[in-house]
Amino acid sequence: MARLANLETEYPVLDSTVRNFCASHGIFSVEDFLIHDLYMLAAFAEQNDSSERLKEGIAQVLSIIDDMHQPWLNGMELLEDAKRNKHVFPTGIQGIDLLLGDGIHVGQLTELVGPSSSGKTQVCLRTASNVARNHMVLYLDTGNSFSPQRIAYFLGKTISPSSAQAKNQFLQKVMSNISCHSVFDIFAMFDVLHQLESYLRCQDGRGGCQMRLLIVDSISSLISPVLGSSSTLGRALMTSAGYLLKKLAHQHNLAVLVSFARVSSVLIINHTVGGEGGSSKPALGDSWKCIPHSRLFLSCDRGSNTYNVSILRHPSMASGKAARFVI
Amino acid sequence: MEIWRLPISASQRGKLISSGYTSLSSLSSISSSDLARELKVSESEAMNILKVASHSRGSETSNASCSIVEGAQSAWDMLHDEESLMHITTSSADLDNILGGGIHCKEVTEIGGVPGIGKTQLGIQIAVNVQIPNDFGGLGGKAIYIDTEGSFMVERAFQIAEACIEDMSEYNRFLRKDFQECKIKMLPQDILENIFYFRICSYTEQIALINYLDKFLSEHKDVKVIVVDSVTFHFRQDFDDMALRTRVLSGMALKLMNLAKRFSLAVVLLNQVTTKHTEASFQLALALGDSWSHTCTNRIVLYWNGNERYAYIDKSPSLRSASAAYSVTARGIRNSSSSCKRIKMM
Repeated sequence: MARLANLETEYPVLDSTVRNFCASHGIFSVEDFLIHDLYMLAAFAEQNDSSERLKEGIAQVLSIIDDMHQPWLNGMELLEDAKRNKHVFPTGIQGIDLLLGDGIHVGQLTELVGPSSSGKTQVCLRTASNVARNHMVLYLDTGNSFSPQRIAYFLGKTISPSSAQAKNQFLQKVMSNISCHSVFDIFAMFDVLHQLESYLRCQDGRGGCQMRLLIVDSISSLISPVLGSSSTLGRALMTSAGYLLKKLAHQHNLAVLVSFARVSSVLIINHTVGGEGGSSKPALGDSWKCIPHSRLFLSCDRGSNTYNVSILRHPSMASGKAARFVI
Repeated sequence: MEIWRLPISASQRGKLISSGYTSLSSLSSISSSDLARELKVSESEAMNILKVASHSRGSETSNASCSIVEGAQSAWDMLHDEESLMHITTSSADLDNILGGGIHCKEVTEIGGVPGIGKTQLGIQIAVNVQIPNDFGGLGGKAIYIDTEGSFMVERAFQIAEACIEDMSEYNRFLRKDFQECKIKMLPQDILENIFYFRICSYTEQIALINYLDKFLSEHKDVKVIVVDSVTFHFRQDFDDMALRTRVLSGMALKLMNLAKRFSLAVVLLNQVTTKHTEASFQLALALGDSWSHTCTNRIVLYWNGNERYAYIDKSPSLRSASAAYSVTARGIRNSSSSCKRIKMM
């Protein structure tokens, strides 16, 4: 969304009279234009001396805005797109795949929520190793918990025993499909997602092995240092991170998996939540809860070393269903 | 609004938005003096803003075909790197076994336990063991010891260092008895010299020190372990604003992770315990709450079992949950001397 001053070269209609008129109403960019009441603006323009020029200017800005929105899609086109592009990736863990009806969906943001050491990283690693057989995976790690050993172990379990060299080659081929990057603050994550976006734009034209899975483990540790202070920046960063991930998922046919820390305490960072005493709530409160498409709650049963997973939210499965799995 | 993504101060951001600069492309064609005039800021501030914006934009255009994102590594390369990484031994073979060789580098390990279980002893042992030379299977690096409680005792460190050197010469004699004896040239004084000790007395000093460590570590590249004893002490009392505490702690944890990754060193955080009241029963849990428990890579809990000290792996991305016994002797941390010495796999 450009400044009106910068648009003058392309659209000479937006000359200084138009800009001064807009500036008198506090409009400096196309974005500000959208926030204002256009009828009021047109009424003011009527009363002004050079009302024709002003009306032309307003019409020009409106046509610029018209060019910017996404194209309309009807139901049939959406169905076509879903059938062709929006596949489902099995995670490799039987309990979860059965629960979700085949696995995690491309085009959706799936969240794994749970208390500490409930298996979130293990599920992420397992899913990465499973999807990497055929597609590329990007793993964003905030806690140095990406373990290549574990990935090699998961892959080793799935292939039939063969010669050491063949196994080595298989490991090399699959593990080269997984790229891991460490991010330690939210601005670095935005940079990485931006680079990823330009990479994906180039990729959409090419064939070959494509990136289909993005994992962020864990996104809550990036957001908690900025959230909760008196400014609203933290909340804005959190929601824009969520929307950027969803946009990448839908436009470039990625499955996005994020893991999230759950805090069980009444003293929660988000000041709008006044929870009941001692109840468990995911960190970062209610604003984040509506962002992911599907949310899974993980917990670990220490005695028997099995994990429980239940659906908190899913677009096509009933919430409240639960299952157990082992890793 | 792409300006949100730039790491600039809130007042600068407000000025940019109110002047209409809401996207990075609008900042591409303006010079710093014009920007300074429009925003009514100093020229150096304007240059700073433009530099940050162009860095953000520059990362968009540099699209190397080999890596998707600058700085990403493929899992295959990381597997090979990991195999060459050494571990820091704890001098107790059982404990090393369940840890997969010792304390891992490039990871943040949190060790928590009741008072008197040996956390500080373990911290001092690690600070000494990191200096074992490469010939003897150690890292040959220096240590940083950050003391918040004042529990570091130099005499004890000297004692542990002496015992470590004696063990090394014993090992040397045992292994190289065919070749000529090469005497260990290390003295306990040398070991103590390689421990950088910081004493901090408030949480602001702690945060300031963590921020300063970046510069310190670029100058002292051979530091291989940072021990913080204990990381929670200054955050437990007198903190009125819990939201601030959570923000500060998570920011600190991320910085420590960053240091561990960039300088390939191990970070060991010692933590205290507190009682948690859940469902009408009292349970011991590590201090600083659930939000802190997510911020480490590995967690080891030390506890008493009868008369024995045990260590239990609570959280790890690649190790199984297991517990092992150890003991604290005059020579430092050693294997437990009890007869039924078995590692219990969970």
